[in-house]
Amino acid sequence: MYFAAKVDKEKCNGCKLCILSCPEPNVIKFNKDDKKVVIDAKRCKNCELCVVGCPSKAIEIVLLQDS
Amino acid sequence: MNNKIYKISPGFEKIMPKDYRDLVNDGPFDKKLGVKDLGTFKELIEEHPLCAGCGLALSKRLILASLPSPENTVIVGTTGCSSLSFAQVAIHNIHSIFGNQNALATGLKRALEIRFPDKTKDVVAMGGDGAIGDIGLGMVMHSWFRGEKFTTIMFDNEAYANTGGQESGMSQKGAVLNMAPTGKKYDKLPLPEIARAAGCVYSAVVTPARPKRLEKMVRRAVLLARELGPTYIQIYCPCPTNYKFKPSESLKRTKDMEKSGAYQIKEYISPAAEELIKKFEEEK
Repeated sequence: MYFAAKVDKEKCNGCKLCILSCPEPNVIKFNKDDKKVVIDAKRCKNCELCVVGCPSKAIEIVLLQDS
Repeated sequence: MNNKIYKISPGFEKIMPKDYRDLVNDGPFDKKLGVKDLGTFKELIEEHPLCAGCGLALSKRLILASLPSPENTVIVGTTGCSSLSFAQVAIHNIHSIFGNQNALATGLKRALEIRFPDKTKDVVAMGGDGAIGDIGLGMVMHSWFRGEKFTTIMFDNEAYANTGGQESGMSQKGAVLNMAPTGKKYDKLPLPEIARAAGCVYSAVVTPARPKRLEKMVRRAVLLARELGPTYIQIYCPCPTNYKFKPSESLKRTKDMEKSGAYQIKEYISPAAEELIKKFEEEK
């Protein structure tokens, strides 16, 4: 059970600002087909820098249940 | 670096780790990618042990993405927070004893010039403010006096963050830290100005809140170091653990420091370097 960032696909406009503010490598990937970002929750350290930096408020921190 | 060195031999693809396969298939080698392409390729650094919201980790990520030819670069690291994440970097790197990075990089650069006379090999010495500003200052300044052709990059988190928060020469005046409870008594060292006076052809100060500018400066520094002489870049890396702010505030803090004038972005370019930069831009 841990916290990680999650993207709301409807709000994301593909500006890539979250990618440039994330200190963790390979966490946020840019999907070229639909021009939206995807977050790899297993690598996320929950620092909230992407949440603060997102201009369209598309990212939030959620509690993930262990699987 | 030759492509064959890191390509997997046929038949062994399945037993190699997934990260390695990703690096071979969509890594940035031989592709001329930059900061604007981040998120679309496998980055050269992997899951590192640095704290959440670390400015150093962000700076390192941006630097590795903006190196002009990562396959022909050797990084010399040294003790400190930055050394914790060198094991996860997919570029040739060497760990040196504390403060010795520029002496080691000198020997390495000279040896690479003899060993590969027909190739361009870049050497980048990276260290924290303790290694470059305090403990290794003698080695750093003498490499600049001698005009050694490599780049020195400082991750300036304004403290000895790895050992519990002692003040360093690069801390701001009056900074209170865990192991400096009465506040720092003297000013921050003016290292970019010292670098200019000591013979660096290019010295710059930048923050990770401006990724495109950081990329431009790193590229300039590495390309100028190939031709002319020593170059120096200082990057402000906010430390949430020792300066006691939330990890989510580290970029806001960077911008506040820029606004208040405590950390100014600047660039000193020598006349010879300026001519060469014009030439690079025309070639583009």
